[in-house]
Amino acid sequence: MPRLVLEPRETTSILAPVQVAGLALALTLVAGGVLFAIYGVAPHKGLHAVFVEPLLSTYGIGEVLLKMAPLLLVAQGLAIGFRAQVWNIGAEGQLILGAIAASALAIQFDGTVSPLLLPAMILAGMLAGMAWAGIAAFLRTQFNANEILVTFMLTSVALQLLYYLVTGPLKDPMGFNFPQSISFGQSASFPLIIEGTRANASLFIGLAVTALAWVFVRYSFASYRLSVGGLAPDAAGYAGFASKRAIWIALFVSGGAAGLAGVGEVAGPLGQLQRNVSPGYGYAGIIVAVLGGLHPVGILFAAAIMALVYVGGDFALLSVGVPDAVTGILQGILLICYLACSLLLTMRVRWVRDAPA
Amino acid sequence: MDVLIFMVSGTLAAATALIFAAMGELVAEKSGMLNLGIEGMMATGAAMGFVAASVSGSYTLGFVAAAGLGMCLSLIFAVLTLVFRANQTASGLAIGILGLGLSSAIGKKFESMTLPGLPDLPLGVLADLPVIGPMIFQLDAMVYLSILLVVATWYVLNRTKLGLTIRAVGESPETAHALGLKVRWIRAGCVAFGGAMAGIGGAYMSTAYTPLWAEGMIAGRGWIVVALTVFGTWMVPRVALGAYLFGSISLLELSIQAFGVNVPSQLMSALPYLVTIFMLALISRNTLFIRLNSPSSLGATLKLQ
Amino acid sequence: MAASVLGLTALPGWAEDPLKIGFVFPSPIADVGWSAELNAGRVAIEEHFGDKVETIFVENVPEGPDAARIMNQMAAQGADMIMLGSFGYMNDGIKLAEQRPEMTFIHASGYKLAPNFGNFQSRNYESSYLVGMAAGDVTETDVVGIVAAYAIPEVIGMINGFALGLQEVNPDVTIKVVWLNSWFDPPKAQDSARALMAQQADVIYSLYQDTPSVVTVAEEEEVWVINTSSDMKEYAPTWLLASQIADWSAYFIESAQASIDGTFEGTAFWGGMADGTVDVRSWADAISDDTMAAITEASDAMKAGTFHPLTGPIADQDGVERLADGVTIADPDLLGIDWLVAGVETRLPN
Repeated sequence: MPRLVLEPRETTSILAPVQVAGLALALTLVAGGVLFAIYGVAPHKGLHAVFVEPLLSTYGIGEVLLKMAPLLLVAQGLAIGFRAQVWNIGAEGQLILGAIAASALAIQFDGTVSPLLLPAMILAGMLAGMAWAGIAAFLRTQFNANEILVTFMLTSVALQLLYYLVTGPLKDPMGFNFPQSISFGQSASFPLIIEGTRANASLFIGLAVTALAWVFVRYSFASYRLSVGGLAPDAAGYAGFASKRAIWIALFVSGGAAGLAGVGEVAGPLGQLQRNVSPGYGYAGIIVAVLGGLHPVGILFAAAIMALVYVGGDFALLSVGVPDAVTGILQGILLICYLACSLLLTMRVRWVRDAPA
Repeated sequence: MDVLIFMVSGTLAAATALIFAAMGELVAEKSGMLNLGIEGMMATGAAMGFVAASVSGSYTLGFVAAAGLGMCLSLIFAVLTLVFRANQTASGLAIGILGLGLSSAIGKKFESMTLPGLPDLPLGVLADLPVIGPMIFQLDAMVYLSILLVVATWYVLNRTKLGLTIRAVGESPETAHALGLKVRWIRAGCVAFGGAMAGIGGAYMSTAYTPLWAEGMIAGRGWIVVALTVFGTWMVPRVALGAYLFGSISLLELSIQAFGVNVPSQLMSALPYLVTIFMLALISRNTLFIRLNSPSSLGATLKLQ
Repeated sequence: MAASVLGLTALPGWAEDPLKIGFVFPSPIADVGWSAELNAGRVAIEEHFGDKVETIFVENVPEGPDAARIMNQMAAQGADMIMLGSFGYMNDGIKLAEQRPEMTFIHASGYKLAPNFGNFQSRNYESSYLVGMAAGDVTETDVVGIVAAYAIPEVIGMINGFALGLQEVNPDVTIKVVWLNSWFDPPKAQDSARALMAQQADVIYSLYQDTPSVVTVAEEEEVWVINTSSDMKEYAPTWLLASQIADWSAYFIESAQASIDGTFEGTAFWGGMADGTVDVRSWADAISDDTMAAITEASDAMKAGTFHPLTGPIADQDGVERLADGVTIADPDLLGIDWLVAGVETRLPN
């Protein structure tokens, strides 16, 4: 009887990630087409609206780049930790802290024309993200507390802290008690990079972090140490034997990157601190990191695809008139297809004719 | 006195959805599976339960449909992690996103509609007792069922061979596999149970606790469930206690406000998480305790051939 | 020949090109609630103008970085006018209005204006005063509870109007408020209503709860309930005391007409009892005839413009006089009101 067996790949082809992405995308297109048909929209029109339409206008491309920046930052940072088996799933909270710290500076120095304000905000945001993730590193290294759970719960705490600050100390005193800060001035905002869009210079930070991550993964001895530290927990189980140093580095890097993403939001499209600082970039970043195969280049593409689906979903709301639920379902399907197909990165499927001995 | 009755009966009801979902998640985690898609599964359960109960007129059918759909979602998670060896964290988040989208799609035509609400089930003579009666013995059937579920979960996990098997699989899937246990099937079963319970928990929100459907009504309760399993250090009675504690804190905030006293509501909302982090740090230091209670392989990708 | 002359003299963009109006709603459009009321305004526009307008809408748009994309997309699709249904769309809307001077915008409950960007508020405190009178009439425990979202000026104004109406009929009532600190959390809203009932409140004022959460629990517990935004009589057939409603149709139609005519001005519109934007529906039969007569009298006076509920002497919770005898609160002060009248037990958060 012929049957399917899974075998570990001996070598991973450089093309494998591309093939996997292509397969997942193809499956998503099929499923997405069915989904649109259910809502009475011609599948090709619906898919065109999501996957093509955003790329047909400068504005659309700008929106994709805008959405891509935070995803890229968060995912690159997380991937470095994930490679070391340090599971920071609280990037959302670290992003919020970054946004808060940057906003506090912008509010404190409102009206200044100093070119130093934005760099100071960037630094403050990064440090705040690092500090928030550092709590988890401290609890993991000193108390052996599982960082998945600590980072996750710190996100809920960060959210409440944000709610407190925007209704209290950081509230716009002239803002009629609405839960939000003042609008930031020019010197507290990233410059736009494409005329007529909202895409701003925070994307360059994302690209710079991508380059750094690539160098880090490719050459750094620290990276080697991180992956060795990360291999141990398989044997050691829950308690985890990832070296303390690896844990600190992983959480500082991912927290700092998420903090930068938070700065990009308040000093970018938002232009103020408010309750909805992030539409879940911290969680989406985890998925982007995994989709990108934890590889800096893969993450670059994964971030672009995720951003496209987000923006395309919004486009489809108007151009083909599907309810917003479709976007969420489509994202879910894409992720599930991608996760399933990722198996092919490390394994290959083969038909075997004879029964095993 | 009314305030006391409100606090006690309210806490029991407020904790019910959390208990269903938390018992399910606890069993899944005990087998080593960390499913972070609870929020999405509860939301889908809430939408499905409401729609099914509205259309059929039967609450039972509502809960069954919600459990079924929750289970389907969780099985996607099981297949991804156990067959396709995908990362548990990412897979859980993926079905969470899918579940939220699905809940919105299912409930679209029912937005802001209401149901009469699951009727109360007075427990005979007990219900007529002064004070205690309305406090404890005049609640709906699901509240009592949730208490039975806690007892049953405790019994199965700690006193049966099945429980031993589940714990062995969560402790070391490799060893369990070597002993001839069907690790994947056991884990899939535990995850499916978790999905069904999350679905029921969600349906309790939309058909009994707040008998209406509104998109987003689960409002973070799924994340609380994950925190509860940690807060309870993977021990059934403590997880249940945590659910009641959480329920009472949220009601206490409102009661204090109604007394005319302002409370820092954000601090109250953050408190359960802060306490959980503190608890986690406290217990994690004790390696022996952690080894006895927390599933060692929690969240790790299965490496069996 | 005559036809071509007519064609030449027709104003550009008039007959052949309908006015395209985009609507951005903050929550799903249901049968009831804030978005439902705004959507009723959209339907009214379509009925009024027929082929001369085309409307498009997107519901459930979160306030945040993604809202701007929806507005821009509407503009890209040729929208001539956009209605923004929530406060949080203000900054993005203003930005778009600057980029697109040829378009017109109307925005709910904000405070920023531009030549092509107007906003609209309702004088809900007027109808709050009336339902407050009814609450004072029917309460037997002399405890009334309010479930409120955020302490923003509009909500504070409504609580003040409600309390003043209540005290007019029944000076000894205790008024308790539970702040949800959330725009949307039906289970928490319902818990709040129960918490108030447990403290003897026998009238619950559901202030800007989009879903029938509070209304249904009141019907179940047999406690009087007042609702805002939509008439929720069908959710509480027995125990609904009254529903405060807002009808935006006239204002929306007027704004669309101004956009067609090219006469649109970015002004602040305050709709009240006088112009029919604000009203009360489904008065319960239980309200005594005397009080009902007093309510009608106050209502008529407000419609005639001879009575403003927030007229001094009014003291705040600390006993400080906020409005001197005979002084009426000015609209800009109302837009930023941050104090509650004496007699409201709960303080403002923070």
